[in-house]
Amino acid sequence: MNTPAPRKRDRSTRQLRRTQLGFLVAMAIVSSSLPVNSADAHWQHARPDYRWDFPRDHWAHHEFRTEWWYFTGQLTGSKERRLGYQFTFFRIGLLGEVPSLKSDWAARDLIMGHAALTDLEGREHRFSEMVYRASPLLGGFGVYPDTLLAWSRGPAGTGETWRLKWNGNGFDFSMADHHNCFSFSLQTSAVKPKVFQGPNGFSLKETQSAEKPAAASQYYSFPRLRTRGEVIIDQDTLLVTGESWMDKEFGSGMLGEDQVGWDWFSLQRDDGSEVMLYLLRRKDGSISHGSGTCIAADGTARHIDVSDFRITVTATWTSPASGATYPSEWRLQLEGQDLLVRPLLSEQENFSKRIEGMFYWEGAVSVLDASNRKVGRGYVELTGYGEGRMPGL
Amino acid sequence: MITTVGSHYRAGRSLFVLTVLGVALGVASVISIQIINRNAVAAFEGSMEAVSGDADFSVLGRSPSISEEIYPRLLAHPAVAAAWPLYRVTAALAGFEKLYVDVIGLDFFAPVEVPWRNGSADLTAALERPGWAAFTPALAADMGWSIGDSVRVFAGSKEVWLHVGALVDFQQISPLASPKMAVMDISQAQHLLGRSGRVQQFDVVLRGGADVEEARKEMQRQLGPGIQVVSPEQRSRQAEDLLSAFRLNLTALSLISLFVGMFLVYSSTQASLVRRRVEFGLLRSLGATRNQVFGLIAAEVAILGTLGVAVGIPLGYWGAKAHIDMVSAALTNLYLLDEISSLQLPVLLFVVAALVGLGGALVGALIPALDVSRRDTRALMTAFTLHEKIGSLANRLVIAGVVVLLGSAAWYLIAGREWQHAGFLLGFNLLITIPLITPWVIRNVTARFRVRGFGPGFSLRNLGARLQISSFAVSALGIAVSMLVGITILVGSFRDTLEVWITNTVQADVYLSPASWRGRGEEAFLDSALVTSLGQQPGIQALDRLRGFIAYTAGDHRITLAGIDMGLPGGQARFKLLQGDAKKVHTLVNEQSGVLVGETLARKQDLWAGDEVSIFTEKGLHSFPIAGVYYDYNAQGGAVFMDLTTMEAYWGKSDVNSVAIYLDPGLDPDTVIDRLRADLPLETLEMRSNHRLRQEAMEIFDQTFAITRLLQLIGLLIAVCGIALMLLVLGREQLPELALYRSIGASSRQIFGLFVGKGLGMGVMGLIIGAIGGIVLAMVLIFVINRAYFGWTIQVHWPLSELTEQALTILGAAVIASIYPAHKASRTSAAELRREDL
Repeated sequence: MNTPAPRKRDRSTRQLRRTQLGFLVAMAIVSSSLPVNSADAHWQHARPDYRWDFPRDHWAHHEFRTEWWYFTGQLTGSKERRLGYQFTFFRIGLLGEVPSLKSDWAARDLIMGHAALTDLEGREHRFSEMVYRASPLLGGFGVYPDTLLAWSRGPAGTGETWRLKWNGNGFDFSMADHHNCFSFSLQTSAVKPKVFQGPNGFSLKETQSAEKPAAASQYYSFPRLRTRGEVIIDQDTLLVTGESWMDKEFGSGMLGEDQVGWDWFSLQRDDGSEVMLYLLRRKDGSISHGSGTCIAADGTARHIDVSDFRITVTATWTSPASGATYPSEWRLQLEGQDLLVRPLLSEQENFSKRIEGMFYWEGAVSVLDASNRKVGRGYVELTGYGEGRMPGL
Repeated sequence: MITTVGSHYRAGRSLFVLTVLGVALGVASVISIQIINRNAVAAFEGSMEAVSGDADFSVLGRSPSISEEIYPRLLAHPAVAAAWPLYRVTAALAGFEKLYVDVIGLDFFAPVEVPWRNGSADLTAALERPGWAAFTPALAADMGWSIGDSVRVFAGSKEVWLHVGALVDFQQISPLASPKMAVMDISQAQHLLGRSGRVQQFDVVLRGGADVEEARKEMQRQLGPGIQVVSPEQRSRQAEDLLSAFRLNLTALSLISLFVGMFLVYSSTQASLVRRRVEFGLLRSLGATRNQVFGLIAAEVAILGTLGVAVGIPLGYWGAKAHIDMVSAALTNLYLLDEISSLQLPVLLFVVAALVGLGGALVGALIPALDVSRRDTRALMTAFTLHEKIGSLANRLVIAGVVVLLGSAAWYLIAGREWQHAGFLLGFNLLITIPLITPWVIRNVTARFRVRGFGPGFSLRNLGARLQISSFAVSALGIAVSMLVGITILVGSFRDTLEVWITNTVQADVYLSPASWRGRGEEAFLDSALVTSLGQQPGIQALDRLRGFIAYTAGDHRITLAGIDMGLPGGQARFKLLQGDAKKVHTLVNEQSGVLVGETLARKQDLWAGDEVSIFTEKGLHSFPIAGVYYDYNAQGGAVFMDLTTMEAYWGKSDVNSVAIYLDPGLDPDTVIDRLRADLPLETLEMRSNHRLRQEAMEIFDQTFAITRLLQLIGLLIAVCGIALMLLVLGREQLPELALYRSIGASSRQIFGLFVGKGLGMGVMGLIIGAIGGIVLAMVLIFVINRAYFGWTIQVHWPLSELTEQALTILGAAVIASIYPAHKASRTSAAELRREDL
């Protein structure tokens, strides 16, 4: 007897539909990355005299439109396995207040999670993502002093919860995505104190003008977090240790009008110092704005201007998924030093299947000196490359 | 070939027109019913597609709504790529009678396809602005709304202002979707129109490569029996099942029209052959074989059939389009389905039309074509004598007819009762008996009349003498009349039964329900404070509250479940019981969680007093003892009544959906309605007096059968054309005879009278045969088909005045139909008498 073939979901149709589907999410994200204008009256703008209040400021700031908690790091696991990871929770503000509706779906924010794991031995990069409206059923942001900073259901079909907590001296976070066959649960503690990026943590993204608030954010980092925990990749459970970088940024307009994306570097040098640099690009590839921070081994931070460093692209890589061509090696001239920043793997693009036009490169790099000797490690983020992309977060 | 058809046309325009008309009307009736049938289900599928897009399956409750708490469980299932909630509410547009908008609450951030790419949606406003909703451009154009307008709607007893935030063409996703649709964010929908924490549905999309059926079953297992996990195909099938009886009945009626149409083709083919017999004789004498002659005739009929199909398809489409509102109203009234808002015309229907039309025409032409092709050349060249054959067959045919009739009755009584479709076979056999007995009836009836000059007796005797021709016309008329009479008796009886039932059961003085409540389990509630204050109004003796929704029995049978105040004094009189003692029933229902089961459900599911009925409640499956069975005329597969307290115990507390008000004796309901409207905020509600409610119920009934009446008329029209055709044939065939009458002094007036008499005679005989057939058909419809499909108890009533009216109309039509042939025959001159005719 012939048994009918079981009906299978057609992948191509699904993908086509779903790229159309995330439109409103995309719209929310785009609007949150656009320059601030007067219509967004209910959002506060980043300002130089922001009064920091820690640890309260590790939690969400609903009065700003966009916010993220961002972790990257390179880890070494049992059996000397080397890994790179990224874990980010984004808060995308939809409304200034929760609408006073009798419904659990009444929400003022979207919560978006991105996680990536790069197997530097296996030379493979995995990416997991989810986006939900912040609602009691799906995810949300904690309230100080509860230790929970943010949580969310994992991607559909995984049954897991992603969490981020403040542990008093660092952050604990976990994620899992069985479909992409990876999960991690990491605990971090600060080796060095937090550092403000920009004077008083005011990170200006364009030249200020009198007419409207400039694109800017409130920005601080933990440049070196001791990290340990567990990573599961395929069937391997690895106990891992290493060092991470944490960025926390919030604001209501993160890009200037003529800017399309940024090149961002967080480098941890073996001598115990760190450097953060970013360049904001225009559509034609020219640099619109840039700055950075040099952190000495003792934790003292010094803000530097775009004129204080020079970054030259020495190689490129084109993504087969998005078609975008990204820089793939840089010569960095800073404070009389000539360094080479080289990706540990070219294929470290995060390509969203959930939101059309969302793709960016986020990868582990090593830092080499003029004699090609490894002097540090770090992460680089490249957004706004390629056609049809939306402004990166 | 075309030239022969052309010459055929020129030789006899009326014959040509009638042949094409016979096919066209038959095709039209079949096609229009098929279009309507298909679109009834397509309307449901269209709305489903617009809402659920390409979801692999939907998760629905077996009670009106489900808790949104199960959402994380759906998202957690390994095969799931995405899942999203839907909140559906029917809102009534203020200021319009029975104009509803299906408001769908979506999670705007879920991966649902929403076609508002043109920047028409202001995201912040959609979430924040109270009542923000996207409407369809079609509805906005109809109502004269534009973006920024506010629209007042009623949801239950709530008045809500919706804001026209965007115009979105959902018909882009699904062309058959209803334009009366609005989409808003789920948070707004729950807050403004419904309840927090509850949704009606979740849609689920699976990961690439997942086995859909496997995942569906597993999810069903995980969620338990209180939740249904159904694929789009299963949902369409549910709608199809719900409509199957309705669709089958309409199809059967349309096939009768086709059957009658076939008689017309038969007659017209025969007429044309009579006219051209000499031509065929010549062809044969010139060497044409019998097969060639047969082929020639068949090809001609095929071309005429094609013309009939070409005319029939647009006619059928027009018929469907013209009557779609009628059917749509019946669907929404009876089955609580989506109304049909646009028509789809699938290619397959054209194929059906072609097959039906050509097949019908060829079958109709088969006998006369065979007859002519078999005749020898000499017989064709001489006068035509068809009648002899059928005359000699009349006795054998009547025996065959009686055998068919008695055989089917015996078969039904012995073995057929178990088979649901048995009634249709009985009905069909009855209809084929009619042509079998007709020649015998005509011969015997006409033989009793004595001929006195050119009077009516002569006309009738003449019919008896032309049995082959007249019996087909009379048969066709007999079948059409049977259908007419059968359905008239059925509808009349049903109407009377329903009227008596309504009088018995609709006892309260005033009925009050939200304008948005259509009884299909929408969350359209009456605010409890309003109900309380209503009860305190002067002049109001008692309130009888009703909460109703769609529920499912253990066998997944869809039922209407209603909870009422059983404890009301005299409450037991509200049900006319088919089974059970009123007093005991009252105690059992009132005090021991017993239920009353409607007759339809009782018969379909074999559930009777003393049994238990298992229904999915919010606490799982529960068995309720059946206290009694009441007469019920529900079309949706059954109803169950219980006490409100029982309902609250198993489905949780909730506001009610409607209230029946008993007034102090002597108060005029209309005056009370006016006073209540003035004193209480009742604008969102519909209030009907007892009289008005009964009247509305009967209007709905009449609306439901309107399409049936239309089909009857088509059948009758075809049959009356048949009479005209027969008389034309007779006129042609009798040409020498008429010439002889003229030569021996008959006036053209007398010839005219002779033919009108023949028409009338055929009318009378068709009527007699049809009346007898119709009565039998009515019994089959009432006691066999109705019982098998609906399970109603219908008391037989004879709608005599209506039947008399119909009889007179038919006779009138027969006379009118005979005027043209009579006029033509009366112009025969004595000069047409030929030597060989003498």
